[in-house]
Amino acid sequence: MATHAPSIPGAPGKMTAEQIWSVEAGERRPVGVIHIVILALLIGIGFVVGAFGSISFPLGFGVNFFWTGIAVQQVGAIWFGAWGVLAGTIFPFFSNAVAGTPFYISLAYVPANAVQAFLPAWAFRFFKADPRLQSGRDYLILLATMIVSSAFGALWSPLVVLRGFGLLTTESVPLFIWGWFGGNVIAGLVFNFILLKALSGVVIRTPSFVKRWLS
Amino acid sequence: MNKTLLGYVPEQSPIYAVHPFVKLFFLLVVSLFPMFIASPEWNLALMLFILGLMWLSRVDMRVLRIYVPMVISMGSVIFLSYTVLGGVHPEFGLAARIAGVNIYWERIRDASVVYARILPMIFTMVFFLSTSRERDVIVAMRSVRIPFVVTYVFAMALRAAGMVLEDFQIVRQAEQARGFDTAGKSIPYRIRKYVMYMIPLFALSLRRSEEFANALLARGYAFTGEASRVKRADYVLTHYSFRPADLLLTAAIGLAFAALLVLRFGFGYFELERSWFIAWLKTALD
Repeated sequence: MATHAPSIPGAPGKMTAEQIWSVEAGERRPVGVIHIVILALLIGIGFVVGAFGSISFPLGFGVNFFWTGIAVQQVGAIWFGAWGVLAGTIFPFFSNAVAGTPFYISLAYVPANAVQAFLPAWAFRFFKADPRLQSGRDYLILLATMIVSSAFGALWSPLVVLRGFGLLTTESVPLFIWGWFGGNVIAGLVFNFILLKALSGVVIRTPSFVKRWLS
Repeated sequence: MNKTLLGYVPEQSPIYAVHPFVKLFFLLVVSLFPMFIASPEWNLALMLFILGLMWLSRVDMRVLRIYVPMVISMGSVIFLSYTVLGGVHPEFGLAARIAGVNIYWERIRDASVVYARILPMIFTMVFFLSTSRERDVIVAMRSVRIPFVVTYVFAMALRAAGMVLEDFQIVRQAEQARGFDTAGKSIPYRIRKYVMYMIPLFALSLRRSEEFANALLARGYAFTGEASRVKRADYVLTHYSFRPADLLLTAAIGLAFAALLVLRFGFGYFELERSWFIAWLKTALD
């Protein structure tokens, strides 16, 4: 007599991390209107959430001590692949603009924002980590990618962009590097883990969830 | 009053006579001006000019209040960064020594130049946001033949931002009704509890994405495949015409930029050596 309910292959509750990211034989995952909608909605959420951080804790030139937009950037990219990466690259234009960051400075931040969104999304797919954060390995991958991607952003933005525009002295660069890095990592620690833990179980069951990069 | 991306403009305003593309062009080109101007007085004059345009457009100037803390904080950061955190430079002229920190004249000058550069860039952005509606951005993009799907995504994103703000209010009121209120609490507490808004906001948006997608499909929208190649009527563009005055304004902005480059690199205008503000500042600090 069976003591457990039979496991149903592909049922979300029983899905392994490997199954979450792999496309079954015969499974069709076309790019659809839903992905375009997700892209737009992520830009919309990022606009509002990012602007909150930019206005509430500003250091200057779009650098903040606590940038809430990082949650949309990284969690969105983990769930929705390229659409999340694209949204994470675009929405800082809007949120920075409302917070008074000049247009061309926001434009120069594009590589930093793109990497910050891309790296966690790539690592979760490459290492087949579970977005529901079921094991210590999943937590470690998320934490490591948050740190590495924010470190890139923190180096790129003050050293390349702000120094390039002649806005900072060499001596004040560390303040902005730590501001960017700390502002992103602290906000990521507060929001990314909880959001993934709370919502990934639902998101992976929706048609908008992206297993590869586009669908 | 008409709601813009940032504030309100009255029903009757001269800004409505300007085609949205001209406003976008103004943002993109005039934002470049301060990068080629070193003299603070010219950049401050540009900022006053933009403020004048806002006043002429009858923008509700109270919108500027949210930028006061920003402008002060940015100014403080720039001046602290250049002076207190400016390092030790025996080759520079010492303007003051405060609590053991050397404040150099060259650093004060550079901070003034940078700050005066940033201000008009910020006000150009504020001018654009406070005189443009969501529809204006779409019209401007469609006017330059940006693909339908890109324009549509931007339109949906701007609309989604408004919906997220509404959702945020609903979630906050619902949580307050259940006895949760962060009023009077410390900033770390508020930051921690902010996640209580984030989860419902994400969940609502995910649910809404399916409603959105179904509504679009029901109306025959498609962004890939055969259906996406059907030419759609640009209804919104029929409300706007690019008049000769718009062409003149666009040309004037372009020519102003060209003139700026010629004066800057051909004749040495807008350089620090010619700045009366810097000369005055030096005299004042000596």
